[in-house]
Amino acid sequence: MADERVSVIKVRDMLMVTMPADPDDATVTALQEKVLDAMGRHQAKGLVLDISAVDTLDSFFARTVAETTHMVALMGGRTVIAGMQPSVAITATQLGLTLGRVLTALDVDRALGMLGNARDGRSR
Amino acid sequence: MKNVVAAQPQVRIDSEGDIVLVRRTVREAATRLGVGITDVTRIVTAASELARNVFHYAGTGVMRWRMLEANNSIGIELTFEDQGPGIPDLDQAMKEGFTTSGGLGLGLPGAKRLMDEMEIESRVGEGTTVIVRKWRKRS
Repeated sequence: MADERVSVIKVRDMLMVTMPADPDDATVTALQEKVLDAMGRHQAKGLVLDISAVDTLDSFFARTVAETTHMVALMGGRTVIAGMQPSVAITATQLGLTLGRVLTALDVDRALGMLGNARDGRSR
Repeated sequence: MKNVVAAQPQVRIDSEGDIVLVRRTVREAATRLGVGITDVTRIVTAASELARNVFHYAGTGVMRWRMLEANNSIGIELTFEDQGPGIPDLDQAMKEGFTTSGGLGLGLPGAKRLMDEMEIESRVGEGTTVIVRKWRKRS
């Protein structure tokens, strides 16, 4: 089963997903369903999508990421895309991809920090 | 140099999973070309867009690749061929954001930007052939 390659783990009140290097379309689609299901089940406040291993971000993958971000937002959560490789960032820009108004971070550590700070900010 | 211009290996595109196979094949070939990681990523990403076009619009098709030699450069050529519905208006298909499949409409124009050369031949009702090339200057 393709979707077994992606697991959604809970870190405090956030979800974390690490994408494989070269996921097929079924894996990418399964990611969306798994994430939204876990958002509801764990009452998560946000999602960190770790794409540091991803070496090809094509338009299908990018569209699914942007869609997922939007769906997570509708459920009250924030998404941070973490760890995009330089070669992927260059290629994605030349291809014409825009991820919309998605938050990004250099790595997972910073991404978790961004979501954590946002939470603290709200509770102040 | 060892026989750079070799016979053309091919990958059949019959399912979504074959898009991954195309990417892997092209990644191996592009790496052998000796270009940097960013150019490898450009070539693989363009291949992914074009393979997905074949699958979405035609259902099935084939991707062939070969190494090229010209003057002071070596290059890689990828050919995507299908017997699908064809593209009625090529100018429109090359426009950013134009799509008939509900996608982003980045496939053809995006792939063209990522590669050095692109040629498209399409006949309505007969099929489409897209050829892309990327060159590396020999040092």
